[in-house]
Amino acid sequence: MAYSQPPTPNMRPAQAPHPRPGFRPPQQQQQQHFQQHPPQQQQQGQQQHPNLSRPTTPGQQPMNYRPMGNGPRPANSPVGMPRPPLSQDPNSPLLQQGQLRRPSAAGGPIPGSPSNQRPPMAGSHPMQQQPNGAPLQRPPPIGVTSDPGQAPGTFMGQGQQGVPGSPAMNPMGYHAGPPNGQNRSQPPTPKLQHQQHQQPHQGLQPPYQQQTHQQQQQQQQQQQPHQQHQHQQGHQGQDLGAPNAGLMAGPPTPTPQAGAHKPKRMYPTGINAYTESTPGLQPLAGQPLQPNMNQLAGQMGAMNVGSTGFGAQGISPMSTVALMGTAPKILDLDAPPPAINLPETASITQSPYANCDPSYKRSTLNAIPATSQLLTKSRLPFGLVITPYRSVKEGEEPVPVVSDSIIARCRRCRTYINPFVKFVEGGQRWKCNMCYTLNEVPSSFDYDSQTQQPVDRWQRKELNHAVVEYIAPTEYMVRPPQPLVYMFVIDVSYPAIQCGMVATAATTILESLDRIPNDEGRTKVGIITVDSSIHFYNLNTTSGEPQMLVVSDLEEAYLPQPQDLLCNLSECRATLEALLNRMSDMFKDTQNVGNALGPALNSAYKLISPIGGKILCLQASLPNLETGTLKMREDPKLLGTSKESTLLQAASSFYKSFAVECSKSQVCVDMFLFGSQYSDVATLSCLPRFTGGSTFFYPAFTAAKSEDALKFAHELAEFLSQRIALEAVMRVRASKGLRMSAFYGNFFVRSTDLLSLPNVPRDQSYSIEVSYDDNLTIPIVCFQTALLHTSSSGERRIRVLTLAVPVTTSLSELYMSADQVAISTLLACKAVERGMNSKLDDARDALTNKVVDILGVYKTHMTASSSGATPNLQVCDNLKLLPLLTLGMLKHVALRGGSQIPSDLRAYAMHLLSTLPSQCLIPFVHPRFYSLHDMPEHCGTIGADGIEMPQAMNLSSERLTRSGLYMLEDGQNIFLWIGRDAVPQLCMDLFGVPNYESVRGGKTTLPTLESDFNQRVNLIVGKTREMRRTAYYPQLYIVKEDGDAALRLWFLSHLIEDRAEPIMSYYQYLGHLKDRVNSGSF
Amino acid sequence: MSAEAMVFLFGVIVGAGLLFVKVFFVILISDLEVDYINPIELCNKLNQFVLPEMFVQAFMTFIFLISGQWIATAWNLPLVAYNANKIMNGKHMFDATEIFRTLGQHKKECFIKLGFYLLSFFYYLYRMILALVNDS
Repeated sequence: MAYSQPPTPNMRPAQAPHPRPGFRPPQQQQQQHFQQHPPQQQQQGQQQHPNLSRPTTPGQQPMNYRPMGNGPRPANSPVGMPRPPLSQDPNSPLLQQGQLRRPSAAGGPIPGSPSNQRPPMAGSHPMQQQPNGAPLQRPPPIGVTSDPGQAPGTFMGQGQQGVPGSPAMNPMGYHAGPPNGQNRSQPPTPKLQHQQHQQPHQGLQPPYQQQTHQQQQQQQQQQQPHQQHQHQQGHQGQDLGAPNAGLMAGPPTPTPQAGAHKPKRMYPTGINAYTESTPGLQPLAGQPLQPNMNQLAGQMGAMNVGSTGFGAQGISPMSTVALMGTAPKILDLDAPPPAINLPETASITQSPYANCDPSYKRSTLNAIPATSQLLTKSRLPFGLVITPYRSVKEGEEPVPVVSDSIIARCRRCRTYINPFVKFVEGGQRWKCNMCYTLNEVPSSFDYDSQTQQPVDRWQRKELNHAVVEYIAPTEYMVRPPQPLVYMFVIDVSYPAIQCGMVATAATTILESLDRIPNDEGRTKVGIITVDSSIHFYNLNTTSGEPQMLVVSDLEEAYLPQPQDLLCNLSECRATLEALLNRMSDMFKDTQNVGNALGPALNSAYKLISPIGGKILCLQASLPNLETGTLKMREDPKLLGTSKESTLLQAASSFYKSFAVECSKSQVCVDMFLFGSQYSDVATLSCLPRFTGGSTFFYPAFTAAKSEDALKFAHELAEFLSQRIALEAVMRVRASKGLRMSAFYGNFFVRSTDLLSLPNVPRDQSYSIEVSYDDNLTIPIVCFQTALLHTSSSGERRIRVLTLAVPVTTSLSELYMSADQVAISTLLACKAVERGMNSKLDDARDALTNKVVDILGVYKTHMTASSSGATPNLQVCDNLKLLPLLTLGMLKHVALRGGSQIPSDLRAYAMHLLSTLPSQCLIPFVHPRFYSLHDMPEHCGTIGADGIEMPQAMNLSSERLTRSGLYMLEDGQNIFLWIGRDAVPQLCMDLFGVPNYESVRGGKTTLPTLESDFNQRVNLIVGKTREMRRTAYYPQLYIVKEDGDAALRLWFLSHLIEDRAEPIMSYYQYLGHLKDRVNSGSF
Repeated sequence: MSAEAMVFLFGVIVGAGLLFVKVFFVILISDLEVDYINPIELCNKLNQFVLPEMFVQAFMTFIFLISGQWIATAWNLPLVAYNANKIMNGKHMFDATEIFRTLGQHKKECFIKLGFYLLSFFYYLYRMILALVNDS
C-alpha cells in the first residue's frame, strides 16, 4: 500500500488467543516476540519474558517423564529400581487396569496392597502415625521426550552461567549419582556444586535432614524446590503418605527418579536471557543494574521465612525492568499470565487440563503467600477474577459434562472431587485437598453397575479437567428446573416512540424469536408495554389476534387476568408475531409522556415470580409516575466535585428493594436504556446489579441513524440468543486458611460466601477478594468455584472450576507470579465501588497508592537500592504494565476527574468496568490503537489464525501523522482517525470519496468497495467486532483531524500516554510514582 | 415519689427496652455471620426496630431535657445528633444488598450502642434509687 511509508517489515499482531497455561507453544511465542522488537532490544525482550520463553510446561509434552510421585514404595524394592520398559504408554489399557492395585507402577510392577507396601522403617518415623495409607497416584506416563522448547545446548549454557538464585534442582542433580539413561543432558556444573555446598548454611538444616530432604525430593519428584521445603518442614504429616517415612534413615541412594530433564523444567529460559542480557539492559534502563539481583532476591525470600530457609532455592530469576525511559511494551497486554508452577505430581491425572484456564478463573497471584504478613508486606492485592459462564466460541473446547450423576464431594467442606485430590488406602478413599478429610470413593468410579463393567476412574472428566459440569440429581433442586421466561417491559411513551426504540425493538425481537433458546419448547414469553398505564397482552387467544388489556390504576396495579399473559413461545408464536408486527404502529401517534416503570415492573414481577426468569426492560424515558419515580437530578454544578458520587448512587430505594425481591424469586432484570436526555443509569442499573443482569446504554439513540439501530438490534439479538443459566448460586471454596472476603460484580450476596444469581449471562466477570484466616501450611492452595444453575435447556447443572496455585514463602516469587491483568481487573472493581460509595477522588488516590505501594515494596525488598532515591522505577517484568493500566483507569470515563462527563456515561462505564471479563476489560481501559495507512500487506487478509490484525501501537498522539489513517478501539467503540493531509487515493480507496474534505465524520458505517484497502479495513473492523467474547457491538466513528471538536477530544482522550489536563502523561505519571516511591518508606 | 424519681424510673424502663433491642440486633447480626438467617430476612426484621429505637431514645432525651436533668440530657444528646444525621443521609436502614460489605461497621455500631445503653441504664437506676432515698 502506498499511502505513505513502505510497509514496515513483517509485523505480526499479538492478538493470538491466550493459550492455556499448561499448553503453550513457547517457540512460536518467543519468535513472535522477537519479531516485535528491534534487534538491539532482543536481549532485553527475552529477558523480560521469562514466562513466554519458558520452554516447557508439564502439559505440553506429549509424554511426560513423571517419576514416581507419592506412590507407595515397597520395602524390599531398591530405591533405584529398574524401570518398566520405556514403551509403556500411559493410556495403554494394560497399565490402566492395574492402576488401582498397582499405584506404584512407575517404580516398578509391584503388586500388593498399600499396607504391604509400607517400608519397614516406617515405625521409627512419626509419619507412621498417618492412618491413611499411601496416596494413590495415577501411574505416570513413562518415557522421556526431549523438551521441545529447548535444545540441550541451551541448557548447558545455563548451567554454566550459574545464576545464583536458581539452584533448584541441585540436591538431586548432584547427589543423584550417575544419571540413568534418561538423565542425559546434565552434567553437574561447577556452579551447581557450589550451590550445593552452600545449602546447609542457607537452610540451617542438619545434614541428616538434608539427606532426607533429598530423598523426599526423589520420592515426590517435586518440581519446585520451594515446595519441597514445605513438604519437609512440618507438613509431611498432612500431605505425604507413609512411604516417605522409611526413607528417613536411608542412604542417599541415587534413583532414576531424580529426573534428568526436571532441572530443565525448573529453569525458565529467562534465566539464560537474564544473565546474558544484563549488559544490554543498562543503556536502556539508564541506570546500573544490581549485579546480584537474584541472590539478593533469594536472600530476601530466605529472610522472610526465617528458619524455613532455602528461600533462595527455586526462585526463578527475577527479571527487573526499568519503567522510565522506554515506551511501555503494550504487546505484553495479551501475554498469558505468569505460569502456575505446580509440581508435576500435583494433579493425580496430570492431565493438561487439570488446572483452570485463565479465561475462566485467574488469580491475581499465581503463587500464594504462605502468611498474611507476607501478603501485607508485598501490598499486592489478592483475589480471583472469575468468568464462570464464559461463552465458548467455535473451535474452542466445550466444557466437559459429567452426565452420570455421580458427584463425589467432601463430606466435611463439600468440595467437589477434582484433579488435585489424592487417592489413599489403595484408592478406596480420597483425601480432600481443601480440608484433608478422607472420603469414600463412590464405587461407581470403578464399576458401572448398569452395564456391569469395570470402568476406569482415571478417565473420569472431573479428575482430568479443571472445568467440568455435572448434571445434578434431584438433591440439587428445590423445584423442577425452571423454563426460560422472557418478560419484556417496553416503554411506549412519547420519547420511546419518537426515537424509534419501540419499532427497532419489536423488529429485533420478532427476528430473534427463532434464536431464543427453546430446546424443550418450554420457553415462555410475555410482553408488557407501559406509558401512563400498563398494557398487558393476552397472547393465547383463539382468534390468533393479540388482545390488549389496559390497566390504568397504577396505585394497585393488578393483573387483568390470571393466565395467558405469559405464554409458551412455541404455542403462541403466531399471536406474538402479530403483536410484534403491529407494535410500532399501535403507539405511533401517542402523545403520552408518562411512564410508570415501577408499577409495570411490579406487575411483571407478579406475573413471573412463581416461575422466575428474566425481565427485559427497554426504557427510553425517566419513570415519572407512581413508585420508582425518578427525577432529572443531573446537576452540572456537582460534576467534578466531591458530591459527584451522589449522582452515581441510587436515587430511589424502590429499585434496590425491588432487586432484592426479584433475587428472592429468581427473577433477573436487564436494562436497555435509551437516553436522549438524562436516563439515570445509576439508579436503573441497580436492578441488573443485584439480580445478575446486564445493562446496556445507548446515549442519544435515534433509530433514524442506521448505526444506532444496528448496534441496538445486534446487541439485543445477541443477548436474547445467549444460552444463559438460570436460578444459580455460586460459591467459592478455598483451602483451609483462606476466605472470600469481598465480592464485586452483578449478584446478590445471600450469605457470607454464597452469591445468588437469578440469571448468569454469558461472559460476565466476578471479582472476589481473598483474605487470610490462618497461615498456610500446605504446598498447594486450591480455589474451587461451584456454580449450581439451570441451563437454558432445562437441566440442573453444576459447573465446577478448580484452580490450584502453589504456596510460596518468598517475596520475590510472589512478585514474579503476580498477574497484572487480574490485578487491574480487581483494582478496577475496587475503584468503582469506592467511587460509588465515597468519592471519585478517593478511588483515584487508592489506585495510585496501590501502585506506589507495590513499586515501593519492590524497590525496597527486591532491588539493591533498597533505600534512598533512585533515578528510575523498577518492577518485575510481569508487573511492568500495571502503572500503564492504572493510568488508563485514572483516565477512563468511569474514574476520570473533571466536570465534563455526564453521570449517565460515568455510571455505565462503571458498570462495565465491574462486569467485563479481563479479555474485554483490558482493551476497555487501554484501547488498541493501529495505524492502518501503512500497515503491512498481510494485515487485513485472512491468514493462518483468521484475519490478521496490524500491530498495536502505544497510545500516544506522537504516533499520529497528518497523512495517516488510524484505528482505535476499546471494545465499545471503534474510531477511525483520518489526518488532514490524507492522500486522496486513500479517501477514494477507503471511503469512495475523492478527497479528505468530502469524508464525513461521525458515527458511520464503512462502505464496501471494490478496492483492496477498503476490504482489508472492513475485515479488520469486522474482526474487531467479534474477536472478543462479548455481546457488545462496537460502533464505528470516523474522526477527522479538523472535524467535530467533541469527537476529536473524545478520540484523543483515549490516548492515555498523552497529557490530558488535569491528568498526567504516562511519563509524568511515572515520575510522580517515582517521587512517591523514593519519598515513602515501605 | 418525686418527679425526679419518676423521670429516672421512666429512663430505667426505656433503657432496659433499648438494651433488649440492641441485644436482639447483635444476636441477629451474628446469626447472619454464621448463616442462620439470610440478609433479606435480617433486614426486614431489623429495619422495623431502627426508627422506633431512635425515636424512643430521642423522646427520652426530650423528657430529661424538660425535667431539667442536664447531665442525662448531655449524655444522650450526641447519640440523638448521630441518629438524626444518619436519617438525614438516608443511611439509617439496613440495606440487604450492602449488608455484607457493611457488616463490620454495623456490628461495631451495635456494640457501641449496647455499651452506651448499658451505662445509661445503670446511671438511670442509680439516679432513681438516689431520688427515692432522698424522698424518704
